[in-house]
Amino acid sequence: MEEKLEPNEMIIHLGPQHPMQPGPFRLNLRLRGETVLGAEIELGFIHKGIEKILENKTYLQGITIVDRICYLVALVNEECFVGCTEKLLGIEPPARAKYIRVILEELTRIQSHLLGIGEFGEFIGFVSMFMYTIREREEILSLIDMVTGARVTHSYLKFGGVRDDLPAGFKEKAIPTLNKLKKAVDDFDQMFHTDRIYRERTVGVGVLTADVAKSLGVSGPVLRATGVPFDIRKNEPYLVYEDLDFKVCTETAGDCFARVQVRLNEIRESIYILEQCLDQIPNGPLFPENTPYGRRTPVMRVPAGEVFHRVEDPRGEMGMYMISDGSDKPYRLKVRGPYYPTLQALPPLIIGTTVADVAAISGSMDGCTSEADR
Amino acid sequence: MDVRKIIESLTGTFPEAISEAMVESEIRARAYVDKEKAREVCQYLKDSLQFDHLCSVCGVDYIKRNELEVVYHIASYDHPVVLTLKAALPRDNPEIESVVSVYWNANWYERETYELFGILFKNHPNLKPLVLPDDMLGEWPLRKDYKGFPNTTAKNLV
Repeated sequence: MEEKLEPNEMIIHLGPQHPMQPGPFRLNLRLRGETVLGAEIELGFIHKGIEKILENKTYLQGITIVDRICYLVALVNEECFVGCTEKLLGIEPPARAKYIRVILEELTRIQSHLLGIGEFGEFIGFVSMFMYTIREREEILSLIDMVTGARVTHSYLKFGGVRDDLPAGFKEKAIPTLNKLKKAVDDFDQMFHTDRIYRERTVGVGVLTADVAKSLGVSGPVLRATGVPFDIRKNEPYLVYEDLDFKVCTETAGDCFARVQVRLNEIRESIYILEQCLDQIPNGPLFPENTPYGRRTPVMRVPAGEVFHRVEDPRGEMGMYMISDGSDKPYRLKVRGPYYPTLQALPPLIIGTTVADVAAISGSMDGCTSEADR
Repeated sequence: MDVRKIIESLTGTFPEAISEAMVESEIRARAYVDKEKAREVCQYLKDSLQFDHLCSVCGVDYIKRNELEVVYHIASYDHPVVLTLKAALPRDNPEIESVVSVYWNANWYERETYELFGILFKNHPNLKPLVLPDDMLGEWPLRKDYKGFPNTTAKNLV
C-alpha cells in the first residue's frame, strides 16, 4: 500500500472494527471510484499467543485453552487436541464416547453454520436473517448446554473419552428440536431461492473456480462450493464417521450463493448424522477399560513423539501438529486453523469487484478472526 | 496413492537431499530434507505426486541440539497422505528458500514463522510481521530461550 496513488484513487481502511467483519482485522482497500484495485489484510489485533501458552500448560489444562481458539467451534478444537494426545498415548475411546463426541460435534457444526448464514445475511443488509437463524441456533445451544453444562466453552472432552454421559431425556428433547430445524432450513432455502434482492447480491459474486481455490489452499464450504468433494470426515475418517451414512455436499457455481447453499445442505446432512447416532448409540463405558485414563485423570506424562491430526471443522480442515518430549507439557503445538488460509485468499478474490461486494464476499467466507489470529 | 510408493519415489529422485524417510502409518510419512533443496523437493511433490495442498509451515526450536527446524505439512486434495517434511537449520543463522513460488498459501505461514522464530525465508515476496506488532520483531517469542513470557508480552496492551 506504500506506492503512490494515481489521481482519483484513494485508500479506505475497513476495520479493525467494522460491522461487516466477523472479528477485528484491517482490510486496506485501494479504490478507483468504487472498484477495488488492491487489497491488503493486517492481522494481529486479537493475537492471544495460544501456541506459546499451550507450551506452558499441562495437557489437561490445554483442553481449556484450545476452547478459546475459536469460541464457535470449541468442541471441534478440543477433538483435534484430544485426538492428537490420544494418538501419542496410544489409546482409543470406547464406542459410546465416540458416538457422544460425534453428536456434540455435529451439533457444533449446525450452530456454527446457522450463525454463519445469519451473519452473512446481516452483512448484505438482510438483517432479519440474523434473527431467524439465531432463534434456531439457541435451541441447538440448549441441547449442547444440556450435555456439557456450558453454551460456548465446554472443556468436555477428556483423554480417552468424555466427561459425562448424555443426560436422561436427551434423545426425547433432541428429536423434536431437529425436526423443527429441518422445517426452518427448508424455509431458509426457499427464501434464498425466491428473494430477488438476495439473489442479485449473491449469484455470480465472488466466483472461485476449483483450480483457483485449490491453488489458494482453501478448504471447507468455500472449496466444496466450487465442486471439490474434500471433507476430512470422508478422506481420513476419525471417530465413527466410517460407519455413518452421509454425503459430502458440493455445489458447482463457486459464488456467494453456492457457499451459503453448501452450508444449508450441510446442516441437513448433520441432522441426518445426528438421527443415525441417536438410534445407533451403544451402551457401555465412557473411558477405555484397563487404562489409567478416566474422568479424574491426574497429571500425566505423554510418551515422546510427534503427530499431525486433522479433523473437519465447520470452516474446513483443522489440523494440529503436536510434539511431545515425554514431559507433562507439549513441547510444541502448531494449530493449523481453517480460516487462516481462507482469509489469506480474500484479497485476490475481491480485486476487481466493487466495495459493496466486499462485504458479501468476506461474509460468505464465514470467518472467525479469533482462530486466524490464535 | 500408496504411502510407500511416495517415499520410494521421493528418495529415488533426491537420494542426497532426503534423509531419514519413514512411513508412520498408511496416511502419514515423514522425512528430513536438505535446506538447500526444500523448494525443489516441494516443486517435485506438487508436479509429480499430487501433493497440491500445503497444510502448514511451522517452526520448532530444538534448543538442546542448537537447531531450528522448519516443518512443512504437505497434503493433497485427492489422497489422504500427509507428508511431514523437515529442514534443520543452524540456530545462529537460520535461512531457507521460500516456497511461496510453489504453494501460494505459504505466504502467511512463512511470515508467521519468521516473526515467531526468526527464520529468514529468502525470496519471500513480503517478509514482514503478520500477527505481532512491529516493535516485537527480533524477540522471537516462540523460541525456547525467550524470557518475556508471560510478563512482558502484554506490554502493548497497556
